[in-house]
Amino acid sequence: MPVIEARNITYTYSPGTPFQMDAMTDVSFAAEQGDFVGVIGHTGSGKSTLVQHLNGLLRPSSGQVLLNGSDIWAEPKKIRAVRFRVGLVFQYPEHQLFEETVYKDIAFGPKNMELPEGEIDARVRRAAAFVGLKPELLEKSPFELSGGEKRRAAIAGVMAMQPEVLILDEPTAGLDPRGRDMILEQIRAYQQENGTTVLLVSHSMEDIARVAGRVLVMNRGRVAMYDETPAVFSRARELAEIGLTVPAVTKVFMLLRDKGYAVGDNVYTVEQAAGRLLPLLKKGGGADA
Amino acid sequence: MDDIITARDVRFVYDNGEQEPGTAAEPVLVLDGVSLAVRQGEFLALLGHNGSGKSTLAKHFNAMLLPTGGQVLVRDMDTADEEKKYEIRRTVGMVFQNPDNQLVSTIVEEDVAFGPENLGIEPAEIRRRVDDALKTVGMYEYRTHAPHKLSGGQKQRVAIAGILAMQPDCLVLDEPTAMLDPRGRREVLDTVSWLNRERGMTVVLITHYMEEAARAGRVVVMDDGKIRMEGTPREVFSQVEALRAIELDVPQPTELCFALRRRGVPLPEGILTPEECAEAIALLMEEPPCR
Amino acid sequence: MLNGITIGQYFPGDSLLHRMDPRVKLVLTFVYIFAVFIPQNWLGLALAVGFLVFSVAVSRLPVKLVLKSVKPIIPLIILTSALNIFYVSEGVHLFDWGFIHITTQGLVTAAFIAIRILSLIAGSSLLTYTTSPTTLTDALERLMKPLKVFHLNVHELAMMMTIALRFIPTLVEETDKIMSAQKARGADMESGGLMQRVRALIPILIPLFVSSFRRAYELATAMECRCYRGGEGRTRMKQLHMNARDGACIAVMAALTAGLFALNFIVPAAL
Repeated sequence: MPVIEARNITYTYSPGTPFQMDAMTDVSFAAEQGDFVGVIGHTGSGKSTLVQHLNGLLRPSSGQVLLNGSDIWAEPKKIRAVRFRVGLVFQYPEHQLFEETVYKDIAFGPKNMELPEGEIDARVRRAAAFVGLKPELLEKSPFELSGGEKRRAAIAGVMAMQPEVLILDEPTAGLDPRGRDMILEQIRAYQQENGTTVLLVSHSMEDIARVAGRVLVMNRGRVAMYDETPAVFSRARELAEIGLTVPAVTKVFMLLRDKGYAVGDNVYTVEQAAGRLLPLLKKGGGADA
Repeated sequence: MDDIITARDVRFVYDNGEQEPGTAAEPVLVLDGVSLAVRQGEFLALLGHNGSGKSTLAKHFNAMLLPTGGQVLVRDMDTADEEKKYEIRRTVGMVFQNPDNQLVSTIVEEDVAFGPENLGIEPAEIRRRVDDALKTVGMYEYRTHAPHKLSGGQKQRVAIAGILAMQPDCLVLDEPTAMLDPRGRREVLDTVSWLNRERGMTVVLITHYMEEAARAGRVVVMDDGKIRMEGTPREVFSQVEALRAIELDVPQPTELCFALRRRGVPLPEGILTPEECAEAIALLMEEPPCR
Repeated sequence: MLNGITIGQYFPGDSLLHRMDPRVKLVLTFVYIFAVFIPQNWLGLALAVGFLVFSVAVSRLPVKLVLKSVKPIIPLIILTSALNIFYVSEGVHLFDWGFIHITTQGLVTAAFIAIRILSLIAGSSLLTYTTSPTTLTDALERLMKPLKVFHLNVHELAMMMTIALRFIPTLVEETDKIMSAQKARGADMESGGLMQRVRALIPILIPLFVSSFRRAYELATAMECRCYRGGEGRTRMKQLHMNARDGACIAVMAALTAGLFALNFIVPAAL
């Protein structure tokens, strides 16, 4: 049984007014326990609307969201409990920090869950360790941290709820390569250690190619593709038609195929590309390494 | 004189003076002897990650910050000369990262007029400049719109128009695309490249994206308050290992060629784009194309 | 949930009222607000209301919109009317009960005042409906320029208003986002007593303040980079020009005011 599933959900903004607009139309997809799903699409493709449905911040105009097989809106009064089980990290999450200390900020979610004090403490420390925040930082004010540390503290705040599904909306936006690599690596480690189902929303095909096992492509409020990562990247031309930029190495392979070389498809990381090309290329003496 | 901006051995010490006792309040050396000249008409990319000092250096270019040691000249004006402050800021216009936090007015065209109005320019001339600047960035049809209804890329183009309306000699952009989606990034970069190519505008682009720096004519890499590398994009990006050492990305095609070269494939250095990469690889294929 | 808030209820258009010099429009609106208090007789009041109806027609705004603008003050009107009806004891007594007397004069006074307040509100809403907030700020700045003599920095006040108008939608959007982010961490904003609800606002207000300060700082930097140095030596792209049309409007308003005064002498007072 999928951990999280969307069944034909449609979301209409301002129904019954002249501004009525479908932000999402008939979206269905399901993720199994331990899946790492990359969600990609343009601004306005409906991807942010979709993830806000999964933790019950938005209620679908029609269709259902199922968490472990049961409709999250079966009892609307208990929707808050769903948010502890489906953790959502918003874009620029550091803008939500507010407590006096980093520790208290990370503890905000677990406190709202009304967990015992000892459990909260254990979770805060575990989450902080996952995102690589040193214990001495926990007693600092979150506003004294560097940009990257703030981002990681905010992510820890959601991890500390130990949700079954962790959704991150562009966790690397605005970070430099160093900060980006660090966060992607930490999310991957967290996912592997806990077997959590992770949904990572990103504009960057390269990021998604690096971490995601499956990719959900959204376009104009609908699901354009949902498949294993290699299968999605093998449809590079379709992706390009939607206006999504494929990783540059994928593009190199597309160009080589256009020239008539049988190099194969679904290549999206440099390592894969090098491995695939090496047997096909002439070696010379000119190695410079 | 061909240089618009000349930085001579600039040192900058950031002294976060009013800190509580007990917290780290030591002055930080942000710029450590930086010398750099920005040439008339060039497209210069300043590359480095957060904290490398690149934004601090940029703020020296228009007298928003003054060097602790060394000197910055804009044309022949010393940025330390208080009387030249506004002339310097008119000459070197600056666009920032967050498009929301640099637009002042509720109407696009009035925002673009803000700079020239501050300069005390005649109303008719302002009108002409505003229309021209908006047409240049392709936002003329949106002139009566409210900025908050525009996309990130559009807002950033309006911000660029607001600087262009001051008719600067040099445009400095401090990570203008960091908060934009890929489409917005493309819009802004195309606008900037076009300005440099077609209008001869001198551009300094501060970024941590390789693909953006690759569009420039010259790349300067900063790390730890110092200039580490300098040259054409090809020259700089061939130094894959040096870039990796300071944790900067390399464009994927460059990285691929590097990886293959290490394993004995005689690919040339300095490959940046997928097109060049495919071209070079095709030449070395064992089998001819099956066509 | 905050999307319902709109600031400045400007409805774009190109009617005579939309195209009027905002300074003239502003002053004439004030004149009208005073003018509705001139008439002491039904004929005068009818004239003032007639002028309002005429203006609404000229503005080509939907009548429904103008009616909507008076909706919030209906409780106030009911209250003042009730006071007048119950406490004015002159005239023919229609109903007496204890200290409550309903008299013809009371009814007349109540109706008179209700109509005055309604016209006043509808009249001033015409100003905000036909003038964008920016233009209004601009007009205020220019009208108040003479106050510089009293060391009142009119330019700075106007600049503050412009920036506030510019950032209100941005901050509303931001508030929405912060609320969602805290709800995603289980913040409970819908239940509990008053104290609990107030406390629930802290996780929203603090990030909002922090972000507003950051925005203010960045905006100030950007403004400095665009050579902003206060109102001194500053020019404006948009010049306001009064023309014959504005002159005509002033003349009409003057005639109305004079007429209302004159009617007070000619027609017997109703109050």
